[in-house]
Amino acid sequence: MRKTVSVLLVCMLATVLFLSGCAKKTGDTGPIQIALQAPITGDYAYEGQMAKQSVEVATELINKAGGVLERQIAVTVVDDGSNPKDSAIAAQKAVSLKVVAVIGSYGSSVTEPAEDIYEKNKMVSVGYGCTALRLTVDKKPNYFFRTCGRDDAQGLFFAKYAVETMGAKLIAIMHDNSTFAKGVAEEAKKALQPYVDAGKCKIVYYDAVTPGEKDFSAAVTKLRNTNPDVWYYTGYYTEAGLLVRQARDAGLTCPFIGGNAAINDDFIKIAGIDVAKGCLMTQEPLVTDVTTAISEQFRTLYKEKFGDVPSSPWPVYAADALYAIVGAIKNANSIESDAIATAMHTNMTGVEGVTGAIKFTAIGDREDVPYKMYEVTADGKYVVHQP
Amino acid sequence: MATFFEQLINGLTIGSFYALVALGYSMVFGVMKLINFAHGDLFALGSYLGYTLLIASSSWVTVHFGLWGGMAIAMLFAFTGIGLAGVLMERVAYRPVYPAGRLSLVVSALGMSIFLQNGIMAIWGSRPQAYPAAVVPSTRFSLLGLPVTSLQVVILLISFTLMLAIWFIVEKTTFGAAIRATALDRSTATLMGIDVRVVIFFIFALGPALGGIAGVMNGMYYRAISFNMGWTYGLKAFTATILGGIGNIPGAMIGGLLLGLMESLFAGYVSGAWKDVFVFFILIVVLIWRPTGLLGEKTAEKV
Repeated sequence: MRKTVSVLLVCMLATVLFLSGCAKKTGDTGPIQIALQAPITGDYAYEGQMAKQSVEVATELINKAGGVLERQIAVTVVDDGSNPKDSAIAAQKAVSLKVVAVIGSYGSSVTEPAEDIYEKNKMVSVGYGCTALRLTVDKKPNYFFRTCGRDDAQGLFFAKYAVETMGAKLIAIMHDNSTFAKGVAEEAKKALQPYVDAGKCKIVYYDAVTPGEKDFSAAVTKLRNTNPDVWYYTGYYTEAGLLVRQARDAGLTCPFIGGNAAINDDFIKIAGIDVAKGCLMTQEPLVTDVTTAISEQFRTLYKEKFGDVPSSPWPVYAADALYAIVGAIKNANSIESDAIATAMHTNMTGVEGVTGAIKFTAIGDREDVPYKMYEVTADGKYVVHQP
Repeated sequence: MATFFEQLINGLTIGSFYALVALGYSMVFGVMKLINFAHGDLFALGSYLGYTLLIASSSWVTVHFGLWGGMAIAMLFAFTGIGLAGVLMERVAYRPVYPAGRLSLVVSALGMSIFLQNGIMAIWGSRPQAYPAAVVPSTRFSLLGLPVTSLQVVILLISFTLMLAIWFIVEKTTFGAAIRATALDRSTATLMGIDVRVVIFFIFALGPALGGIAGVMNGMYYRAISFNMGWTYGLKAFTATILGGIGNIPGAMIGGLLLGLMESLFAGYVSGAWKDVFVFFILIVVLIWRPTGLLGEKTAEKV
């Protein structure tokens, strides 16, 4: 009796294996499925929508050029609603869709739960707007990468610029307690420490505001009383716009420097151009300031499809994530997760994205992400700041 | 010392927004025993209605009535619009489920909140909108040595006038007595010849309408409005209601103002990062000391 059962079991197993093998073979001619996890709804819906558009444009460009491994690519969007809880659900959905790799997501605290899920399922995911150190430094992931820079790079850039280029003595740093903003603020503070020790500057203000609120008058009054030479805010644009406006109303006149999530068109709309002009921000270069061959094509097609190029740098990194994945698939000559991950870590020769060559370190960070100091002009454009 | 008074004015301004929204919560709770979770979103809708009116007819309004006239018209528009929306909401979402008990009401309220929030996002988009600078009157001047804007003064005046008016209606008029009677005991009030439907109609028109005005003033003052702003204000106003004593009209006002002051003073003198921790700690302490809120009636258990 026992023998019959085990024979039966073996037969069943064989059938299952055979069938699953079949399924894989028949799928080989269809498009390669890739998922985009992005905040299509919620607080960062605006960023998410632009990421979706960017990836759409990149997909079209790649498919027009013949796709990869003689197959087209197709991108499915899963919405993480700008919050960690829905992010986990979105990640589960992407996993159950059995996609080859995932692009996403925007925001470090949103990406974190998703990263864990993809990692556990051995699925390659490439973040495009998540800059917290711990995503790679603490977790040392095998299947997670990012096309954007890390917080410490930005903090370091700010510290050097504020002290050496602007000659600021009294420095104020403000964040909004979110993983991302706090990360940049902490790194900026750390990077300032050597200057503080050398007596070159002083941190006179270090505190947080609550995102989602509208009244920051108490915080800016306190800030004003510390008389800072420069004020660095590392949070997001809605609060940044309100903060600058209220600070100017309260009589604070020092230069405002935003982190790379603080300034976009909505910042200018909320603050009003009279207040927004002259505001600075530390940021990865915008797509308009990038001069690669792909960026040309990307800009043209994006403009054709959606009217104007993305107003923030992040959506472009989503497109870069797609280029990285496709490049790795090509170099690995495989759509197996392990092969793609290995290629991303070690063999990215010839892989070009919108912002230039894409290479990753052993823990999945992108190598050589440049930063620039941008300035808002009187007509609401962004130019590289000339001190 | 000047900074202290400055922070005091900052706190009063935030507090008056909380108080106006809290009034709506408290009035509805008093009569319906329902926490109207959609109230914050009606506030946001009011903001958007005022914004749309000013955007659509800014030149016309400004030419004929000036900036202050434009503001008044936008507030009247939001007052009427949100009042209607409140009545409609009661008719569609609450009256049909009222017999099913309080749990169904709460779920229905949450549903309305999600409906409104996503409706606003679908109509006006997910990006934040801004009241254009050209339609917002703002002159800065010095009041007893404190820097204030004319808008700030007007907002405080309007808020306090509205609060006084509501207090007067509820506490000093015959109709107010009917409202209080309905709040105490609905069926007995009906037996005494009070038309409960009229009371509920009035409550659901006036409560949200106040929120609508607060929405326009909020938009004018901070300029930025977003589809999910109702959530933050709803939560804070709800906290203010609990702090002051739910169902109690002066309690809602005092709770709102107190919440604003605490937030502002703590953020100004201690730490912005710990502000909410402090405020909610105070709330817990108050509730331990007075479980029904600062001005809440002591309820004796009926045996």
